[in-house]
Amino acid sequence: MRLNSYEFMIARRFLVNGRSQTVLIILGIAIGVAVQVFLISLMDGLQRNLIQRTIGSSPHVTIAPPLSSPQPLGIGGGAIDDYQRPLKTEESEILSWQRYSDYLSGIEEITVAAPMINGNGYIEKGRSSFPVLIKGVTLPEADVIYKFNKNTVSGDPRPGGNNVLIGRASSDKSGLKVGDTFYLRNQTGAGDYFSIKGIFDLGSSAANNMVVMSLDRAQNFLDITGISSIEIQVHDVFAADGLAESLRGSLSQVKVESWQERNQELLSGLQAQDTSSAMIQFFVLLSITLGIASVLAIIAIQKSRQLGILKAMGTNDKSAARIFIIQGFSMGFFGALLGILLGLGMTSLFMFGTKSSGGPTYELKITLTNILLPAVLAVLSASVAALVPARRAAGLNPMEVIRNG
Amino acid sequence: MDDIIILEKINKFYGDEVVFQVLFDIHLYIKRGKFTTIVGPSGSGKSTLLNIIGLLESPTSGKVFLDGQDVSSLNKDELAACRNEKIGFIFQFHYLLPEFTAIENILIPYWIGKGRPPGEIVDRALHLMDRIGIKKFSGKYPNQLSGGQQQRVAIARALINKPKIIFADEPTGNLDSKTSNLVMELLKEIVDEQKTSLVMVTHDPNIAAGADRVVEIVDGRINSDSLHSN
Ligand SMILES: Nc1ncnc2c1ncn2[C@@H]1O[C@H](COP(=O)(O)OP(=O)(O)O)[C@@H](O)[C@H]1O
Ligand SMILES: [Mg+2]
Repeated sequence: MRLNSYEFMIARRFLVNGRSQTVLIILGIAIGVAVQVFLISLMDGLQRNLIQRTIGSSPHVTIAPPLSSPQPLGIGGGAIDDYQRPLKTEESEILSWQRYSDYLSGIEEITVAAPMINGNGYIEKGRSSFPVLIKGVTLPEADVIYKFNKNTVSGDPRPGGNNVLIGRASSDKSGLKVGDTFYLRNQTGAGDYFSIKGIFDLGSSAANNMVVMSLDRAQNFLDITGISSIEIQVHDVFAADGLAESLRGSLSQVKVESWQERNQELLSGLQAQDTSSAMIQFFVLLSITLGIASVLAIIAIQKSRQLGILKAMGTNDKSAARIFIIQGFSMGFFGALLGILLGLGMTSLFMFGTKSSGGPTYELKITLTNILLPAVLAVLSASVAALVPARRAAGLNPMEVIRNG
Repeated sequence: MDDIIILEKINKFYGDEVVFQVLFDIHLYIKRGKFTTIVGPSGSGKSTLLNIIGLLESPTSGKVFLDGQDVSSLNKDELAACRNEKIGFIFQFHYLLPEFTAIENILIPYWIGKGRPPGEIVDRALHLMDRIGIKKFSGKYPNQLSGGQQQRVAIARALINKPKIIFADEPTGNLDSKTSNLVMELLKEIVDEQKTSLVMVTHDPNIAAGADRVVEIVDGRINSDSLHSN
């Protein structure tokens, strides 16, 4: 198949000659592409924002001993029965956690691997008691995940000894303030006095119900020799499940869980959002395609006379068809180009708008795929739309024109 | 063999349900380099005959030889290429492309066949325009030209590919007699110069009188065929 330059020349002249039609189609395509670029960037940004909020201050991957359960059962009544206490084995605690930490810190994708102690307890105040999660952490590792230094709303963000941080929810419920001393019981019923060094707000009610102390104090308080888990954050949150999968391959003794596995509902919500935005995109493309097809069909009828003359002079059917494919492609191309610019404009205007109005600033995600995908699809649909008039042009008999003037 | 065109037993029917025969067993030999006119009453089948010889229509039966080649063996694309290479058309209505300037219109047949015209072809176009007195209109669009000027552009366009034969269907039918005479003079001169064959349908007895041969068609049959010796 030989593309002859005259096909381009004639296609171009037809387009330039049909000025307002051409401009209208190109504008139509541009708006379609712009809407898609904006929509995809917005969706992407919102999703990332939502995910950031959900998992920003929580681990992306958690490594726990095989027998650990996410919510350790309290042993009721406070009576201590030594025989029922689990044995300290690698099954219930990570005893050799230093080895894991060393191994994990060697993995490029991981930003931090923080050892954690987790347990349940009660804050006692007067006659009431308030259940809390007890968390033992090391700094600065835990700060990478929970950002206590940023999220502390009053007091000092560094726990140590019997100085602990408590979450805003626990503070509100119990009425405890920075500087107060309180009695904290573990689930075996044993307890000790702690004083509040800082109060933090991590944004979620579960996290705001924590009492955070140093790792060794928590080990001692909860009678744990090893650690309860290793919490990991990674560079790319969406790579977390992949990393978890590969860690499962290399670490057979422990349970590895990614945030995706823990947040199935969020993910299926996001999936639904993806599906609906894909549907919107599909219909935008469909209307672009139909619009171009109808306008090009009109152009093909308007240009029948010219096509008849060209065919009499030796233009063959394929060339006649290509003249219209080229027109469709060109309009798609220039429409997409303009659409990208418009879309970027809309996106930055939106970001500027939300920023200056003081609302939540979404980082709209402008990526190459977000821009190129709608553009390429628009060019393709424009070319496909051009098949309609192209077929007409190919089938035109020059005699119809020459006979009828 | 010195015949550019040979028609053997050409029949043409129109219509599917009501079949209507337009041409009946036409035999015609046309010599190379000559000026042949086809005359006859309106509706007698002159244009149909010309379009069949010009490879724009196919006969219902019979054979067409153009420049020694049996064209019934050619497919649509080959017919198109053959029209482009060997044939120039001049129609009653000029049929220029309104989107293109005069010189661009003249160059289009070259462009279709061989791609972007090189300088010497552009020069040839300008020379042709000069020869028929329209060089100063080369940058004008068809709607900026008079009927006679448009028809002269169409003549130059028909000549650009140095065709073996030119078919003209009442090329002066829309022109006043003065312009008509001028256009005919120019056409005959150039055709003579280039030794191109010319087949023209006309109603004008003066034009027929100036031709080498007059073929008269009546009701789809050749009624008379006279050679002029000049
Ligand atoms: N496409 C067609 N379908 C049906 N009849 C046609 C068609 N083209 C021409 N005719 C008929 O064929 C006859 C000859 O037409 P034409 O060759 O144009 O005659 P002329 O050029 O001598 O005036 C006319 O009666 C015309 O109506
Ligand atoms: Mg006629």
